[in-house]
Amino acid sequence: MTAMAKETPLVHPLVNQYLRPERMPHLACPGCGIGQVVHCTLNAVAELGLTPLNTVWVQGVGCSSRLSYALWKGDSIDAHHGRIFAVATGLKMCRPELNYILFTGDGDCASIGGNHFIHACRRNLDVVAIMFNNGIYGMTGGQVAPTTPLGASTTTTPHGNFEAPFDLCKVAEAAGASYVARWRAIDFKPLTHSIKKGIRIKGLAFIEVLLPCATNFGRYVLKTGDPGKVQKWINDRVVTLKKAESMSPEELKDKVLIGEFVDREQPGVVENYQSLLKRLKEV
Amino acid sequence: MEITIIKDHCKGCGYCIEYCPKKVYGKSKSMNKKGYLVPEVIDLENCSECGLCDMYCPEFAIILEKEEGKHERN
Amino acid sequence: MKGTKTGTFFVQGDEAIAEGAIAAGCRYFAGYPITPAQEIAEILAQRMPEVGGVCMQMEDELASIHSVGGASCAGFKAMTASSGPGISLKLEGLGWGIKNELPYVVVDIQRAGPSNGVATSVAQGDFYTVRYGSAGGNYALIALSPKSVQEAFDLTIECFNLAEIFRCPVFLLCDETVGHTREKLVIPDPSKIKIVERKKPTVPPEQFVLYPLDDDSVINYPFPSVGEGYSICVSPYTHTSKGYPSTEKVDQDKMARRLTNKIMKNVDKLTRVEKKYLEDAEVAVIAYGASARPALAAVETARGNGLKVGFLRPIIVWPFPDEEIYRVAERVNFILVPELNTDGQMVREVARAAKGKAEVYHLGSGGVETHLPDEIWREIRRLKK
Repeated sequence: MTAMAKETPLVHPLVNQYLRPERMPHLACPGCGIGQVVHCTLNAVAELGLTPLNTVWVQGVGCSSRLSYALWKGDSIDAHHGRIFAVATGLKMCRPELNYILFTGDGDCASIGGNHFIHACRRNLDVVAIMFNNGIYGMTGGQVAPTTPLGASTTTTPHGNFEAPFDLCKVAEAAGASYVARWRAIDFKPLTHSIKKGIRIKGLAFIEVLLPCATNFGRYVLKTGDPGKVQKWINDRVVTLKKAESMSPEELKDKVLIGEFVDREQPGVVENYQSLLKRLKEV
Repeated sequence: MEITIIKDHCKGCGYCIEYCPKKVYGKSKSMNKKGYLVPEVIDLENCSECGLCDMYCPEFAIILEKEEGKHERN
Repeated sequence: MKGTKTGTFFVQGDEAIAEGAIAAGCRYFAGYPITPAQEIAEILAQRMPEVGGVCMQMEDELASIHSVGGASCAGFKAMTASSGPGISLKLEGLGWGIKNELPYVVVDIQRAGPSNGVATSVAQGDFYTVRYGSAGGNYALIALSPKSVQEAFDLTIECFNLAEIFRCPVFLLCDETVGHTREKLVIPDPSKIKIVERKKPTVPPEQFVLYPLDDDSVINYPFPSVGEGYSICVSPYTHTSKGYPSTEKVDQDKMARRLTNKIMKNVDKLTRVEKKYLEDAEVAVIAYGASARPALAAVETARGNGLKVGFLRPIIVWPFPDEEIYRVAERVNFILVPELNTDGQMVREVARAAKGKAEVYHLGSGGVETHLPDEIWREIRRLKK
């Protein structure tokens, strides 16, 4: 048995196989969970045998996307803020044979991208959308997001947030997505399993991931810059679906459920359109 | 079994130290190029090869290779 | 191109644009309901699936243009169409297309504005919007403007060809009059229609440079799509030639120069005007799109009355045909620019290009109806005095 601390250019085997080594170390702050989610994604990709040749990463704007942009060894399409679902619609409708993994953030998806997100769920577009929910706008320095808890202090709510937050999973479910799940970034096994399922399932797979932002959420909302403490705050709030069954509504107040909420494979816009084309050819 | 810490990718978050169930890692006084204090393996004998450190590290800075030479993936 | 409808037809300009897109090889259209561009989407909703293409009604104007950008990255010739306020919404997406050198076509069927204006009526208020509307500057743009239904068909094909040659979004700057007028359209046999196909790299991925930032004027440059092994990086941020984001001044400068100069240094390939009666002209009337035919009618009336009036119509309106305008300005006493706007748009470009060699006058109107030839003829007489 040996242990050693090595100098670069040694890289992690997953980085070597699926990412661009020259883009490491990536942009995320110390303790940011985005790297953990990328790790789970790469595990899912490896277990399913996907390659940089047949898989495209699409991301928006923000920490979620800056990290994943030009990191994947294959095609990497970085869209404007909030527009990944629209860009992915064009990509998937034209090249349905490729796999698409979308990375977005809570601001990117729920705020500016809200309309596109809802319609992508409605269309049940055959892509996996992984939304990094850190409860704040990280990249721009800590503004309130549609997922920031009520009362939280941020740079644009210095007197406390006066707007209630969204539950994006409920929105995805209501709009018609095939698969909806929420995990923490540190729920490695179930998160990897969900990503694998999302890649394979027909229709849109929406996976919300709760992760710590020590730099902005930590400092502004929780008054701590320690990523461990922010992770603990998340851990204290989450409840699995199974555990929630035995809890009262009062006990569940202010708690966030994690688990697989929706798993109802059904055809979406891509399959419907292909059938339409087939029907026209036969006429 | 081999544990490799890629020093220059580490950002000193401390997750490996905090979350290793066998307390294999500890803080070191060694600083990398960016000024982060890199962790070190302090109790390798205790390692159960669970691979949590490999997964917990957001920077892909820890490589755990199991006894058989296969890379550990959760 | 398979699926092209050959023959002689009596159709609206909007339909001619839709058929032009199909003839050019466009196989992805995304739009949002908006008068007076709506017919393009409706016709393509029928025709696109017939030719194996994709036609989407997206949730809004932004989604339309962004999905067109995505389709372009997927290797498809793609188009979106809108008007006034819809074009304003598309300008963000247009920036993405410009920056990443994505070939596609945007159709603007201009209508009376500002804001919603009169949805069902003509105007020419977007001349500057299409050119300078996408924030940030640092780019040049190509826009073509038809005066007739036949030209709406022909120039749509030309837009697609130029998009491939210059690897950029190209505007078809049309208007409600041309869009809704019904006229004869002749669609020739596909073998007689010149189409420029997307160029693909001939070198392996490790040798291919996705964005040729070191050469600010190279055109006919390849653009691989996703899934071809070229690991393309497309981004809204300033990037290096590989596509990696950069905040360096040198990369910003290179990128900005390329986006501007690949068009401006090739202006000789992008000059197309219609000229009539200019050889001995003492006065010139310069007009485009919906203003062109009344202007030409006025010029012919003037000629019939013994006045030496000439006519020039920019067909490629951006880049603006500076040299052609200057040559006219050198020999005439004044230039009249009838336009369907009151703030004066193309007239400013004419005045700039004339460099003081001739007086330049604006005959403006808020739109809803085109100028009557008589109005333009009266103005020529008034100015001549």
